[in-house]
Amino acid sequence: MRKIEPKYQVSWLVILAVLLVGGLLCWGVQHDAFLYKTPVGRVTKVTNRKRFSQVDNFHNHDFTQKQTLQVQILNGQYKGKSVQVQNTFSASQAMDLSYRKKQQLFLHIQRKAGHQLQVTITDLKRDTVIVSLSFLAIVLLLMTMKFSGFMALMSVLLNGVLFFLAIKLDVQSQGADVLAIFATLAFVFAGMTLFLVLGKTRQMIVTFGATIIGTLGSVVVTLLVLKFTHEQGLHFETMAYVTQNPQPVFLAETILGSLGAVMDESTDIISSLFALHEERPQMSRYQLFLSGREIGKSIMGPLINVLFLIFMADTFAMMVLYLRNGNSWGYAFTMNMSLGMVQSLVSGIGIVLAIPAASLFASSLLKRGDHA
Amino acid sequence: MSTIPVLVILLFLAMLLVGGLQGLKAFLSLAINFALIFLTVVLIGLDFPILGVTLLNAVIILAVTIYLGDDDPLTTETAFYGSVIVMVLVVLLIIPTEHWAMVQGFGNENTEDLEGLSLLVGIKFLDVSIATTILSSLGAIAEAAIAISAGLGEILAQNPQISANRLFADGLTVGKQIIGTTFNTLFFGFFGGFLGLFIWFERLNYTWEEFINNKIFVSELLMILISFIGVILTIPVTTWVMRLKVRRRQAGS
Repeated sequence: MRKIEPKYQVSWLVILAVLLVGGLLCWGVQHDAFLYKTPVGRVTKVTNRKRFSQVDNFHNHDFTQKQTLQVQILNGQYKGKSVQVQNTFSASQAMDLSYRKKQQLFLHIQRKAGHQLQVTITDLKRDTVIVSLSFLAIVLLLMTMKFSGFMALMSVLLNGVLFFLAIKLDVQSQGADVLAIFATLAFVFAGMTLFLVLGKTRQMIVTFGATIIGTLGSVVVTLLVLKFTHEQGLHFETMAYVTQNPQPVFLAETILGSLGAVMDESTDIISSLFALHEERPQMSRYQLFLSGREIGKSIMGPLINVLFLIFMADTFAMMVLYLRNGNSWGYAFTMNMSLGMVQSLVSGIGIVLAIPAASLFASSLLKRGDHA
Repeated sequence: MSTIPVLVILLFLAMLLVGGLQGLKAFLSLAINFALIFLTVVLIGLDFPILGVTLLNAVIILAVTIYLGDDDPLTTETAFYGSVIVMVLVVLLIIPTEHWAMVQGFGNENTEDLEGLSLLVGIKFLDVSIATTILSSLGAIAEAAIAISAGLGEILAQNPQISANRLFADGLTVGKQIIGTTFNTLFFGFFGGFLGLFIWFERLNYTWEEFINNKIFVSELLMILISFIGVILTIPVTTWVMRLKVRRRQAGS
């Protein structure tokens, strides 16, 4: 590892090629309207009307404003036509949007009596943002990590495909076995990701074992706690985007959410222990176990914080809305943040449990391997 | 007893049992971060300037996560400076991206949850979405910064006379190992959040066009990508901070 050429050389040619490909890609996505079945239009002119100030029941001051957009249709049977569309937006823009020149929109076009077209806006076209930011992330990944970056990317793509298949399966089974499907998926995810990162080695098997124990442990603890506390203070009905029985979906979300972090930690502990064993083979099993715990101790705090911040920040928009609608802090928390909080706590327990599991597995395997 | 306090106690006991004093400090950092997150959202609700409040609390969250996460003064100081610089860079990326994508507020999928709530609340939801994205990336940035500066600290301890250039190369090597696993933490963290939404998409037969342009999906994906870019940036930035410190120390002695 140490012998790797330290110079971090990126030739101008590569940079130029990356910029060129990126530019072409963005240009292409901006002109991909012909791929869409839904009518797409580009805003060519915006005329904003007068503002009307609004005060709601909770004395929040806002305004609504109408705008008339001149939109040129880019695809379909009305391609090339220029139409006028009305839009209303507010200062907060919680559900509505204020459109600008050159933006591309999805339209709903209806032919009325005569040759009049009635056009309404359904949404903003956002594919260019997604593609360009993904491109940036992938380029950075490949530039810093080269081949292992490519493997990491592959594992995410493969996991994504599996995720989709599992969702199709879940919907086909009417959500009856959601927990079984996604628990199996978690096994497969962990196995495949670790296999792609570590190869088919002893280290991979140990890491896989520790990941499963950590995750399984946290799920068992959660189920027990939910049973004994009768889910007091939790409102599964407040979960967003729920189309089936919410509680199993919540558990499945929690398992998947914490899986990566538990894997992350087990990988760190076990690879350090393997390296340590190589350097100092005379270390006893107990000493190895203790060093594993030592490494885990320093990782767990920051790692739990990673998930905690992701789960909590996600609830911000709804929290703000609840608070501005005259709800108390406690009520807003219960309705929006409590489930994210449970998710963070459960993941935290999984992350902590994985420390002794990983240390124990690695130390026993390393020592048994020695005597055999 | 209600569920959340029981889980809090269990997590506390587990952290204390496995981590001892360090576990206690890690638990404390979680508690403080919770208070800070809650404070941020309450202040936003009280009409304080959204970006100001968020950035101020973001710096405190980074400090709490890093200084309570490790003991070594060189590691923590380097990680803190590094992560603050990365945060500034990430904010400079987030602001134009969010203006471009316009994924603030709520999507059509939220309609049911919004029943009976007034939407004209006089808060710029675009700024709220910027705040959300900044805060959700902080954990990953702090974690990566600690890992890299701890790794470099270890190398420095073994070889105090190491040249600054050599140190930079080592930082990138340490960073490579970190990215791979952090990648997983982030993707699975968000995969978990996606589940309900994806089932929704599949049930209601969304076409791929609706799907990749959907407000909520795009906003979640942007959060992953930005956190991830933040983690990658952390590697050269933290290594650079460490190199500056080492240079100064070597020049001073």
